[in-house]
Amino acid sequence: MAPILLRSALLACLIAVAAPAAAEEFEIPIHHTEVLDTGVKPKLGDTLAFVNHADIAHNLYLTYEDGTVETLDTQPPRTTKRTTLKHAGHVIVRCWIHPIIRMEFDVAAN
Amino acid sequence: MLGHRVLAVWSVLVCAAAYAVTTGVGAAPEPAGQAAPADLAALKAKFRRPDATPFPKANPHSPEKEALGKALFFDPRLSRSGSVSCGTCHNPSLGWTDGLPRAVGFGMATLHRRTPPVRNLAWGAAFQWDGRADSLEAQARMPITAPDEMNMTMDLVVERLKAVAGYGPLFAGAFGGDDPISARNVTAALATYQRTLVSGEAPFDRWIAGDETAIAPDAKSGFALFNGKAGCAACHSGWRFTDDSFHDIGLTASDDRGRGKFAPPSVVAMQNAFKTPSLRDLRMQGPYMHDGQIGSLADVVEHYAKGGEKRPSLSFEMKPLDLSEAERRQLIAFLETLKAEAAPVALPQLP
Repeated sequence: MAPILLRSALLACLIAVAAPAAAEEFEIPIHHTEVLDTGVKPKLGDTLAFVNHADIAHNLYLTYEDGTVETLDTQPPRTTKRTTLKHAGHVIVRCWIHPIIRMEFDVAAN
Repeated sequence: MLGHRVLAVWSVLVCAAAYAVTTGVGAAPEPAGQAAPADLAALKAKFRRPDATPFPKANPHSPEKEALGKALFFDPRLSRSGSVSCGTCHNPSLGWTDGLPRAVGFGMATLHRRTPPVRNLAWGAAFQWDGRADSLEAQARMPITAPDEMNMTMDLVVERLKAVAGYGPLFAGAFGGDDPISARNVTAALATYQRTLVSGEAPFDRWIAGDETAIAPDAKSGFALFNGKAGCAACHSGWRFTDDSFHDIGLTASDDRGRGKFAPPSVVAMQNAFKTPSLRDLRMQGPYMHDGQIGSLADVVEHYAKGGEKRPSLSFEMKPLDLSEAERRQLIAFLETLKAEAAPVALPQLP
């Protein structure tokens, strides 16, 4: 009986170690023409929530390290746009409307 | 005595009115207009001129590079016909533009867009009306090599410049090396010269610096409107009066989709979107907009008051405005204060 219990506990530990960490959501505020760099350190599968506190609209897009571009829709004032990170590596966030907007971060692999 | 009292009361009223105009006491509900003096000071600080011109680390300034860039800017040999220089369209005598509704290109063909002035580009974030260049160096080769503009290849530019004996020492002085005449150095020198073209001090700058007499009360009211009710500063912000953003402002559309040509089709907001131009040193006689389709400032204000043509790409910031005749005059009076006395430009002696 004891060996079975021991094996079960060991298996549970292995599963816990092997399972990917739960996905998280990071909030990133936008003020006028600045996407605030909050120093996020997301991983693959995490979600970024861009919260537009500005009185003007934005249209953000993410460029992944492999060149993949993901464009978010036009984001009116006081709205939030979410995106789930699809590739590990360096990501640059820019805005189609405001080229002065630029934010960079790295996405960790799971 | 009564006359003195009336005069005194009148003086106080005039002073109070002037104060109200600049601080917005009793004004219509508009952020800048309601600002307390401290808030007004903070607002004015956002429009203060920078102390120095920035140059990128990858292409630092030197007097030799600036002089070379100036020679190249005014040298028609950079065009295939040998008759058109950068300065032909960006004419300093016409405010670094050509005064035409739309530019004239190779073979005297009328192009789709107006020639933009080339001042204050050292602070730019995107270049060309559609923003397809992300640096002045990248921008510099575009009109030279565009078939409908100067219609050259950079190889041919280099070949021509190498054939001009006087250019060798100028390039060597600016860049050094064994073979300094190259396409890369041509655009680097042109970009350096353009970064030195900076608007002079305008009456508005003197007001920002503390001279209350530098601009008239009407212009101060216009400044309040610009930042408040009219919402102009949402895009025409900062000391250059542009944030280099791209918008469809609901003008009469043409086949020219502006930034929409380069953005994914799903980015609807970029269809018919063009760069927000600076408002410094406006040619008060026009023409205006990316294609010169509006001829007067009064009509520009009227366009914004109407809110532009409603369509899916229309900028979120474009809303109809109720502007009185007096407010329209004040906005234009304010824009006039952004114009500096033009500095004389000495044309270079070309090698």
